[in-house]
Amino acid sequence: MKDYEIVIGLEVHVELATNSKIFCSCSAKFGGEQNEHVCPACCGMPGMLPVVNRRVVDLGMTAGMMLGCHINRTTTFDKKSYYYPDLPGSYQTTQWFAPVAVNGTVEIETSKGKKAIRIKQIHMEEDAGKLVHDDWTDTTLVDFNRTSVPLIEIVSQPDLSSAEEVVAYLERLRSLLRFAKVSECRMEQGSMRCDVNLSVRPVGQKEYGVRTEMKNMNSISAIERAIAYESARHIDAIENGTEELVQETRRWDDIKGKSFAMRNKETAGDYRYFPDPNVMPVVIDDAWFDTIRDSLPEFPEVKRVRYIEELGLGEYDADMLVESRAFCDAFEAAYAESGLAKESANWLITNCMNLLNRRQMTTDMLSINGKALGVLVKIVADGTVSHANGKKILEVMFDEDIDPKKYAEENGYIVSNDTGKIVEVVRAVIAADPKSVADYKSGKEKALMALFGKCMKELKGNCDPQLLRATILENL
Amino acid sequence: MNETVLKRLEKLNQLALTEEEEKAFLAFYAEQEEEQKALAAVNTEEVERMVHVMPVYTVVRDDVVIKMFEREDLQKGAPETMDGYWQVPRLVE
Repeated sequence: MKDYEIVIGLEVHVELATNSKIFCSCSAKFGGEQNEHVCPACCGMPGMLPVVNRRVVDLGMTAGMMLGCHINRTTTFDKKSYYYPDLPGSYQTTQWFAPVAVNGTVEIETSKGKKAIRIKQIHMEEDAGKLVHDDWTDTTLVDFNRTSVPLIEIVSQPDLSSAEEVVAYLERLRSLLRFAKVSECRMEQGSMRCDVNLSVRPVGQKEYGVRTEMKNMNSISAIERAIAYESARHIDAIENGTEELVQETRRWDDIKGKSFAMRNKETAGDYRYFPDPNVMPVVIDDAWFDTIRDSLPEFPEVKRVRYIEELGLGEYDADMLVESRAFCDAFEAAYAESGLAKESANWLITNCMNLLNRRQMTTDMLSINGKALGVLVKIVADGTVSHANGKKILEVMFDEDIDPKKYAEENGYIVSNDTGKIVEVVRAVIAADPKSVADYKSGKEKALMALFGKCMKELKGNCDPQLLRATILENL
Repeated sequence: MNETVLKRLEKLNQLALTEEEEKAFLAFYAEQEEEQKALAAVNTEEVERMVHVMPVYTVVRDDVVIKMFEREDLQKGAPETMDGYWQVPRLVE
């Protein structure tokens, strides 16, 4: 058998982090009761005029700049004809002739080293609605909540040649776009999904093989499985003549582990693109361009190096922080306030992460006031508040924007230096628990911990642990 | 334009034209093609690309949510609805 290489190009759809839809003021929020976020414009009713959401252009430009693209300073919208009930106007408003960004590059790293993947273009467009096929009534039910929710489509050149590269590319895209707050990129909610265009050819052959497209893939592991299956199917067809390969759109069934033909692949001509006369061209002037360029975040890998080399964080801590822009923002604000890099990172990576997990929230959903976190880090580090009580204060900070020091004072969380009170509590606890005292005196070290716990409880955690331990030992 | 292209267009637009309608369309497109040829003969090399007749650009709005319509009002004119959905004939590819 000949050696084959796989040729893959991806079209990645990313839902933009806006409040409202691309062409009307309806909410772009995920979910909700069916057809609650709709108006005559996004329902395709006659006579309605779309008006572009400025934030969509901001985010389109941001994505383009993050992926090293050229930004088209005059960008236009076009109609793509497509008859299906999830598109109420029977066309999708998208960009064909002058997309917002073109000719970029994304660098990926795999076990084979670094590789640059070329970006052909990024265009802004509206999402389609959702259809529910109802077997009971044998009809189709239409929900237009998602219609006109803003998307960008990132089209790569066919530069990817393995599932590993595809995964690295998607993870890199997700990291960059989340960092720039372009999108939450949550594949499980459909805010990031991709179409995989795949063909195979003998190694050394210049011409591409027959290309198939698997649409709407929204899980990285499913994408890996689909690429393995589809490339094997192509090679089998060529080598053994098991079937005739045709250019078509296919559906991946992850349960059956197979792809199935959906329809013949449309060509650009079939969509009959033409400029949308209802949407005026958007001209990006220098001031607008500069505002977006100046707002771009430091890239995650640059932050990582800075955290390690300048702030002295370990590699693990730096890696954990740069996973999320929200963590980086909170860390930098906390460090600026406290001057304690390692401690600020620890509070985020351990205590904040625990709270997020308990609340089933992702790291990007962290909305804590970073400066206030810095105050908390400081008052715990200098012993003003115990670590245990600091964690209690942190939990409140998740829900309310409080001043942790003031909150500690008002709620009795300040560590007491009143040795008289500590001695009084220790003596009372010892008197009330002769069994633990006897156990300790007979050599059971654990009994000391029992007494320590009871004293600390009486003191509401507001005591220096070493001072408390020493006081107990003195009084035993 | 020819019959094959017209059939393809019919399929894309989900139309089922009668033989007479097809003939009428073919004649119409033949006329259009002649007009296109006349237009294509004009030298437009130095004419700037124009998307709109009026020189209006960058009509944008702020990213603010405004709810202006209730679902029930929007669905008043719908032939069929069910549980807040628009209901249409089943369509499976």
